[in-house]
Amino acid sequence: MTKTLTTGNHAIAQAAINAGCDGYFGYPITPQSEIGEFMSKKMQELERAYVCAESEIAAINMVLGACSTGAKAMTSSSSCAVALMQESLSYIAADELPVVLVSVMRAGPGLGYIYPSQGDYNQATIGGGNGDYKIIVLAPSTVQECIDLTYKSFYLAQKYRNPTILLADGLLAQMMEPVEFNEYPYPEISIEDWALTGAKNRDSRAIYSLGPQEDRLVERVETLFNKYKQIEENEVEFEEYQTDNADLIVTCFGSIARNVKSAINQCREKGLKVGMLRPITLYPFPTKKYQELAKTTKKFLTIEMNMGQMVRDVRLAVNGQVPVEFFGKSVGQWLSVEDIAAEIERLNS
Amino acid sequence: MIKTTEKSVFKLPKSLKAGMKFPFCAGCDHGVAIRLVAEVLDEMNLREKTIAVASIGCSVMLYDYLDTDCVEAPHGRALAAATGVKRTNKDKFVLTYQGDGDFASIGLAESLHAALRGEKVSAICINNTTYGMTGGQAGPTTIMGQITKTSPNGRNEEYYGYPIKIAEQVALCDGTAYSARCSLDSIANIKKTKEAIRKTFEVQLQGLGFGFVEILSTCPTNWHLTPQESHERVRNELFQVYPLGVYKEV
Repeated sequence: MTKTLTTGNHAIAQAAINAGCDGYFGYPITPQSEIGEFMSKKMQELERAYVCAESEIAAINMVLGACSTGAKAMTSSSSCAVALMQESLSYIAADELPVVLVSVMRAGPGLGYIYPSQGDYNQATIGGGNGDYKIIVLAPSTVQECIDLTYKSFYLAQKYRNPTILLADGLLAQMMEPVEFNEYPYPEISIEDWALTGAKNRDSRAIYSLGPQEDRLVERVETLFNKYKQIEENEVEFEEYQTDNADLIVTCFGSIARNVKSAINQCREKGLKVGMLRPITLYPFPTKKYQELAKTTKKFLTIEMNMGQMVRDVRLAVNGQVPVEFFGKSVGQWLSVEDIAAEIERLNS
Repeated sequence: MIKTTEKSVFKLPKSLKAGMKFPFCAGCDHGVAIRLVAEVLDEMNLREKTIAVASIGCSVMLYDYLDTDCVEAPHGRALAAATGVKRTNKDKFVLTYQGDGDFASIGLAESLHAALRGEKVSAICINNTTYGMTGGQAGPTTIMGQITKTSPNGRNEEYYGYPIKIAEQVALCDGTAYSARCSLDSIANIKKTKEAIRKTFEVQLQGLGFGFVEILSTCPTNWHLTPQESHERVRNELFQVYPLGVYKEV
């Protein structure tokens, strides 16, 4: 297959189209505006739905409406604007709608700036919406993975009828890499038994989250958590790199894994026994894998382009079996290969 | 020998769920408004292609009454959700049923932008000049001087500013095909309201643009009036501030 040179943003947008996205609803924010720009052209050419929404709040609720009819629909946004969508993400999780949200992180808090950052790990995996709910979160670290995981986002959203976030960052969104646009590899999931398609030759259907009857509300939340258990059992994905006999395992997610790998190669050449574990699904988190590796390694080092967010999940998973160190900065460009290699060597000395 | 014949003079519309009961307070106009919506859905044969969007407030449990497919939107976002439904399902009939707080306070941006985009959907807004479900606080349509739980001395300019004229605002949007204000205070006005609802549905089916009807309604519980006094208030006080009429028709 021929390779195309493209940016993370364009890769995500084209992959969404290939995945059969019926509707894109969005509001511009750097560093992901190119997704909406690309979609405004391509979706109209394909005569699919495209709306330049008046706000991110409107955009996510347009996606809610579209997905309630079984349409494949998405929005994309960034950091402070994803914050605006939290209420609706809670509704969407409660309503069990197959919404895809592409979240391209910029540096925060507040307006922050458009530098690459991973400061929204907590926002994506824990979330700011109300109540007990979970969102599937996939984190690419290459432009090729932007394509592959966009496909997977649509598939998992449909398969589990659950909101799914593709969590990228400004670095990945703006950089170009050669990629292959393979076809959407997943089966189509039937929407016939739940989607709002008009009450013709069947009873009317309602999708809502209000639960005045206590027992019904309890049952609904329990149903959700049974589903989350299935997701946790079946959908964990991670990348392991040189973890065999590693005394130190560096763990990270997303784009910084690229520098971590280079640093590991440098350190291996110097004879240091170091490897990498990269969660690809941030929820479900690869807890069992950490527990398994904790039996053979001496230490974990979590590296993030933030002040320490995923490290909490790593510590919960490792549960005190071995030490878990943290190295990070709130903005990614300061985490060079040399910085990371120096930190690895410092911990090994 | 007396010969009797039976003739059905009153029945529930098919678009209302069989056996459903409105839970509204005595004298509240919500039940009348929803029944009118259901009657027009029946008469225009729209039930099977309808996807309704419920909002937050006393309007929320629309899916318990209407026998159509229905999705609940977060507070104020009914017309964003309706936009998403319609844009991906152009062959479906899409309506929202909202209160004035949902439509014109928290959801004003979503409402007016749906009208500006000329979304081919129909919106019904119940204006009872208060937040009914939360117990009667001041809302965007609370009229000057009106006493509510959060305007104990009456709405004044200094603390609250002025009420919004919804039907007039919607009429100003270029994408609006029909905007009217009606009332349910009399048989004659109920009939007019039904015709306005029909019109909002027709402009959607004809692809002309956004269809809107604001319905002045009662909230006897929070107004602390009897049902009869409530309709008198609609006539004596609200008609002055919110004149009935068609504000736009293309």
